[in-house]
Amino acid sequence: MKRIIAPLLVGAALTSGFAADDLAKEVATLKAQMAELQKAQSSLNIDALKKQVSEIKAHDAGDNIKWDVDFRTAYDYVDYKINGGDDVKNGIWTNKLLLGMAAQPADNLVFQGKLGVYKAFGQTNISQTSMFQDFDWYGTQKPGDSSIKLREAYFLYFGDIGDVHYSASFGRRPSVDGFMTNLRADNENPASPVGHNISMEFDGASFKFDVEKITGISGMYFKICLGRGFSNTTGSYSSNGAGGFNPAYVNDAYNPNMDLAGLLVQLYDNGQYKVMANYFKGWNMMGANMGYAQSGYTFDMSGNMTGVAMTPGMLGFIDVGDMTGGSLSLQVNGIGDGINDFLDDSVFFISYAFNKTDPNANVAHYIDSFGQVQNTTGMLGSADSETGHSYYAGLQLPGFMKGQRVGLEYNHGSKYWRSFTYGEDTLAGSKLATRGDAYEIYYILPLVGKNLTAQLSYVYMDYDYTGSDMFFGQTGMPMDTATTPGAVKSASDIRASIRYRY
Amino acid sequence: MKKIIGLLVTAFFVLGLMSTNAMADASKGQKYYLKYMKNDSGMNGAKFATQHTQAEWKALFAGKGEKFIAEYSAKIPGLKAFLEGDKFAKFMPDIRDFCVEYASDSGNVPSC
Repeated sequence: MKRIIAPLLVGAALTSGFAADDLAKEVATLKAQMAELQKAQSSLNIDALKKQVSEIKAHDAGDNIKWDVDFRTAYDYVDYKINGGDDVKNGIWTNKLLLGMAAQPADNLVFQGKLGVYKAFGQTNISQTSMFQDFDWYGTQKPGDSSIKLREAYFLYFGDIGDVHYSASFGRRPSVDGFMTNLRADNENPASPVGHNISMEFDGASFKFDVEKITGISGMYFKICLGRGFSNTTGSYSSNGAGGFNPAYVNDAYNPNMDLAGLLVQLYDNGQYKVMANYFKGWNMMGANMGYAQSGYTFDMSGNMTGVAMTPGMLGFIDVGDMTGGSLSLQVNGIGDGINDFLDDSVFFISYAFNKTDPNANVAHYIDSFGQVQNTTGMLGSADSETGHSYYAGLQLPGFMKGQRVGLEYNHGSKYWRSFTYGEDTLAGSKLATRGDAYEIYYILPLVGKNLTAQLSYVYMDYDYTGSDMFFGQTGMPMDTATTPGAVKSASDIRASIRYRY
Repeated sequence: MKKIIGLLVTAFFVLGLMSTNAMADASKGQKYYLKYMKNDSGMNGAKFATQHTQAEWKALFAGKGEKFIAEYSAKIPGLKAFLEGDKFAKFMPDIRDFCVEYASDSGNVPSC
């Protein structure tokens, strides 16, 4: 037994000796670290830090907006082929600045806004040549002068009702470059609407309900969207033509409010497959009323307002009826599942949209080819209810080098197709409004990551009928471009741009 | 006019050759999160990303993301197979960028 116990005791003694040595070393290390920490702490000037924090707080107090910048310089070359006439072409340099604003004062409250300036280089005669240049529907989407315009401003209030997450929002909507069209615009995230049939600036409200948890369908939500495209109001201090002024901000008794209500549904989104649909109705759509416009009010001998004074030779608008429409769209973000990197990084989409007019009997006026004022009723040049259709498909693929993207798009619109895509940033006119065929190819390359990018694009629109992208009355009448003298048969827009974002 | 267009096109492709390589992509990361992780996590992407600060996400994804894999395999066992598979290894830089971009201290403000 002694032979066994003795070596064990010797071993234990040796082990404890080594353990004691280790412990002593660790204590010494800790002491050194403590000394270093004490030294570092003593060198800290707490008062100076406090002062610095106070200065930062004072500087940031009331600074309740986060800003971001999106700035693009572009060269556009537009070319129009005219039936029976010479080509019309031009090259235009533009600057486009979008200043984004955001704030979140509380977990359930957000503000988002965007100011924009889109201008042609230098002074222009745009204001003298284009009477609809300052139209509210595309204030920051068509180049003009250097005026800053409001593109978006809305708050979002959100919360949960059981398993349903909801948000409510009022303001000027994020309604340009929506689902699918954000790809050609090189915007990571789409704005609110389906870009195929709605892309224009307007004011309104939205109420969104995420029903994914209660339906078990991935990504499912629905959103009620309300918008006003025209407010029926006079301004202040408008002359009544009798040496006085009209009442301020009353109905102009001429063009009623133009409203739109829509339902946007995301039927499915699992990150790869996304299906969206919308359905809307627009009331009191406006048509151009050439020849007569409101110039004031009429009064009786006692000074009571009796009606609207109309003056020939001016241009105004008139309610021509209502319109319904809708769309169904599929986007595939990554083709297949791990077949190869190229397909994983490719995006494909396809979409169908329609519109249906419901004209009223209001009489509008237009000037015929002989310069005579004529009467007309109906929408899109027809007194009957007409239906239009459109198809839209696109591919976005990886480019030659990493991070670069190439896109191909095609869309077709029928004779009575009418979209609300007045805010599409194509100088030659909205390609998605085309009554005919439109093709686009673009190439995007990052220069300094995503902060500085360049884009080259070519859009070609081959029109079957006139009246694409016009208003809803007589000016939207489809006429065969092959047989109508002076009609634009085709239009193209080549754009080279460089864009800074941060 | 053709000369201007020619010059611009040439400049465009020269710029392309000079461009810096793109880094990982937060929007792709969001797509991968939706496709491979959302069902098991039960959270939308924005909520998932706000679980950590940017520095914490960077630490979790350091190296081959071992710490992230360990933490989320334990927290959400349904994710274990994906996190330990080849797809996660391939998509990790994009998922990391997504988490960092929408982290709790990113200052990112939700939009409509």
